[in-house]
Amino acid sequence: MSETSLRGKVAVIGIGLSAVGKVPGRSPLSLAAEAASNALADAGLTKSQVDGVLSSHAFASPFHRFSVAFSEYFGIRPTFSNTLQVSGATAATMFSIGAAAIQGGLAKVVLLVAADSLMTGLTPDLALRSLTESRDQQYEMPFGIPVANTFAMTAHRHMREYGTTPEQLAEVAVVHRRHAARTPGAQQATPITTADVLNSPMVTTPYHKLDCSLISDGGAAFVLTSAEHAKALGIGKPIYVLGCGECYTHEHIFLMPSLTTTGAVESSRRAYAMARYQPSDMDVAGIYDCFTGTVVMMLEDLGFCRKGEGGPFVADGQMSYGGRIPSNTHGGLLSFAHSGMPGALFHFHEVIAQLRGQCGQRQVETAGLGLVHSLGAGFATNATIILGTEGTL
Amino acid sequence: MASDDSTRKPLPAPDADTAAFWRGLRHGELLLQHCRRCRNVQYYQQATCRECGSDELEHKPATGRGKVHSFSVVYRAPGPAFKTDVPYAVLLVELAEGPRMISTLTGSDPEDVTFDMEVELAFDQVSDDVTLPRFRKA
Repeated sequence: MSETSLRGKVAVIGIGLSAVGKVPGRSPLSLAAEAASNALADAGLTKSQVDGVLSSHAFASPFHRFSVAFSEYFGIRPTFSNTLQVSGATAATMFSIGAAAIQGGLAKVVLLVAADSLMTGLTPDLALRSLTESRDQQYEMPFGIPVANTFAMTAHRHMREYGTTPEQLAEVAVVHRRHAARTPGAQQATPITTADVLNSPMVTTPYHKLDCSLISDGGAAFVLTSAEHAKALGIGKPIYVLGCGECYTHEHIFLMPSLTTTGAVESSRRAYAMARYQPSDMDVAGIYDCFTGTVVMMLEDLGFCRKGEGGPFVADGQMSYGGRIPSNTHGGLLSFAHSGMPGALFHFHEVIAQLRGQCGQRQVETAGLGLVHSLGAGFATNATIILGTEGTL
Repeated sequence: MASDDSTRKPLPAPDADTAAFWRGLRHGELLLQHCRRCRNVQYYQQATCRECGSDELEHKPATGRGKVHSFSVVYRAPGPAFKTDVPYAVLLVELAEGPRMISTLTGSDPEDVTFDMEVELAFDQVSDDVTLPRFRKA
């Protein structure tokens, strides 16, 4: 990599969640402020030390400039701020852009913060907006195609091309639920079987209700600063940003180059190259799991198994403890929580907690390197981040 | 007001790039853009060729033949407007000319759709101004 590589230059020094799950009576800004306070307390900083804020859009909030509204609400006046929008991939881009801003001297301490109340906070007007804004109004929306449908068509084609089965997809949901059972505060922790998944109502083929992620309230926040500043602050266990990569292959689902091989191949290739590590070096992963088939395809495209083998890989227990790559150990969007754009931040929270060794009974042994991949809009947007402990620098 | 909006299906609002496309549909033609410079054939309509950037684009009607590249049968409607339509099959159709497009099946059981099924265009006039391109089993 060139001298300008971000590898190891920036560290995550604080992480925090708001109340997560069904949290009625709380605005997205209130949840964001709670998560931010927790992340700052975790870092041992005060809000006056924050000079940068990055956020994502919240459906249940009327504010278009969420990062700006948040700063006012939280009582800070940052000199670097933006509200990012690349759908589900936004979470990972918050880390890469935050790190780049620090490396480039635009800010010293960047707060990444997002929250939404999709479960209890959407007024009918905002719910309608969330439904209609996500797909193209001319060439997609008139046909009644929800976002779930675009992902469903990719999974369906994957079944056609590689023989992936409904049972293998269902197993993804089962594994996530088993993981969530060990996570305090997980929204769905009752064990399920593949039969439960296959018997749940069909939403859009091949996806049953239990193949689909949850709808939740909640937020998360992180504090980023330079590796040097983290040292100066005496941070106990900084977690370093080692690699970042993004890839944007299309906007409309009908222009997706391949329905079964996604931009995650390129985004992760770039992240691995910057980090100077291989897929086989990763100890733990957070993989965007909006639907079960999404996970199968990502396990392949992120390099954890070969193309077409994601289904058997999951069925063989390879994405859980003792397997090749323990993934979404908190339960993911499928069972922990999915509050819209902040949903992917829960994967970051979990992977960073794993790398810090703070996961208790969920702890993956000797976790030193972690990958988080977030994506959105029918695989239109893909972003990968690789994180590591001091020993992996 | 919100409830009125939520039970009405979203209709395309043509813009400067796409007016010809929606006009073509009203006259029973699905127009594809053929680039005179690089021969690229593209769907949807825009001012320039996505391959070479040329603005020498010629509108030619598609044959209307295609096959199902992928599909998903919707059982839970995306909002009140589509509730009475379920189940319906959303198709990702690969047109004979190459481009793919999204549409829905009309005229036969959505549960009988298969991969690579041959389909042909069907014009569905949904309002005075808008005709949607749908597909029926060929």
